[in-house]
Amino acid sequence: MILLKLDELIQGIIKGDRRSVSRAISIVENEQVSINAKKIIKEIFTHTGRAHIVGITGPPGIGKSTMIGNLAAMLSGSGRKVSVVAIDASSPFSGGSLLGNRIRMQESLTRHGVFMRSLANRGMKGGLSRSIWDTVKILDASGSDIIIVETVGAGQADLDVVNLAETIVMVLGPGLGDEIQAIKAGIMEIGSLFVINKMDLPGAFIAQKDIEETLAMSPKGEWKPPVVGVNSLTKEGYDDLIMEIDRHGKFVKKSSDIAFRKFRTELEITIDEELRNRFYKEIRAFLSDNEKIRILMEKRTDPYSAAENLINSIA
Amino acid sequence: MEAGKNQSLFKGKPIKILLAKPGIDGHDRGILVLAKAFRDAGMEVIYVGLLPTPEEVVDTAVNEDVDVIALSLLNGAHMTVFKKVADLMKGRNINDIAVVGGGTIPEGDKPKLEKMGISGNYGPGTPISKIVEHITERAAEMRKLKSMEE
Repeated sequence: MILLKLDELIQGIIKGDRRSVSRAISIVENEQVSINAKKIIKEIFTHTGRAHIVGITGPPGIGKSTMIGNLAAMLSGSGRKVSVVAIDASSPFSGGSLLGNRIRMQESLTRHGVFMRSLANRGMKGGLSRSIWDTVKILDASGSDIIIVETVGAGQADLDVVNLAETIVMVLGPGLGDEIQAIKAGIMEIGSLFVINKMDLPGAFIAQKDIEETLAMSPKGEWKPPVVGVNSLTKEGYDDLIMEIDRHGKFVKKSSDIAFRKFRTELEITIDEELRNRFYKEIRAFLSDNEKIRILMEKRTDPYSAAENLINSIA
Repeated sequence: MEAGKNQSLFKGKPIKILLAKPGIDGHDRGILVLAKAFRDAGMEVIYVGLLPTPEEVVDTAVNEDVDVIALSLLNGAHMTVFKKVADLMKGRNINDIAVVGGGTIPEGDKPKLEKMGISGNYGPGTPISKIVEHITERAAEMRKLKSMEE
């Protein structure tokens, strides 16, 4: 790749240059909280906030990637600039990852020139990767109208997407369990809309009914999550799905509560990280000073006091 | 050991590699075995599936900002298709993504591929460790180039 200076890179992002965008994502992914990574986000921040951020979540194998392939094709067909980020799991043993989401959407990506990036979660729990917040900002600043984020195949407690996306599409299907499963706490509470995929399979209508009944029992808020049945092979139901995503997008942009909550959560995460980063060097130095640690141990100092003393001495 | 932390040389910045079989070739057992081996070696692996065009391969490599593109063909079209990928890269001025090859490649073709910048070109029976080692070397070269850019 040609020589790219950070300032050129930042200008490139704002102009929507793909090479700049993809290199910038690598920087925020590989060199998190580094000076370069922070500079990129600081400089592009005024250009963010325009895109509609849609999170697609649901259990593994339910058809999230295929659905995004269809959605991306239809949305960019209607003239919108679509970007896709898909997160897959890293191996806890090797740290490696097989990022396989792209294969389900390659065709529509190529035909419509959609920018798509695969990220590994690199050990982060909760369904996202730590760099996703910055990645979404880069895509936002590059002029995307809609950014689709696919979470790792989600379990009942993988809820982090609620802090990232404005609209959360919960993808479910037949055969996942009865209405008891549907009223459990956790992931069922965060959907802005629910999609039953694989409507061609037996049990799909029952699943749809179970979800609808569960939602009918939930407290009525301003937004009532709709349930949409789709068939990703024939693309049946996709027009409704897009209509509901757009409707929710308009609803969210009106609500300052959601924006406030998201901003506060992100601030909290960033402060945590900044703190840890700020004292990292001193803490590492302390921990590698075997002599000092041995003295603490021999004096039978309890770990709380030792930690308090260390922090007080550097803060 | 902390969960999800990369244990390799590329601490916290795993090698990102794109695997592709551009061309009319459905023999994907080898490339799938490699995909898993690379994952187990701590790399982040993207497999674009069968029959991508050379343009798709290069586009994907740029969007994903990979360190290495690994091409595999067992149908004898490597001199045409691998060359097409190398030409596209050259045309777009991309010099910080390495291209490596593999498959059924006659000895005589290997120097020609090397000359195009496509290294490795391992055939059946090559120990996986040798391939991983080669890719790690090439990725390290690319990382050096990238770090100088900033």
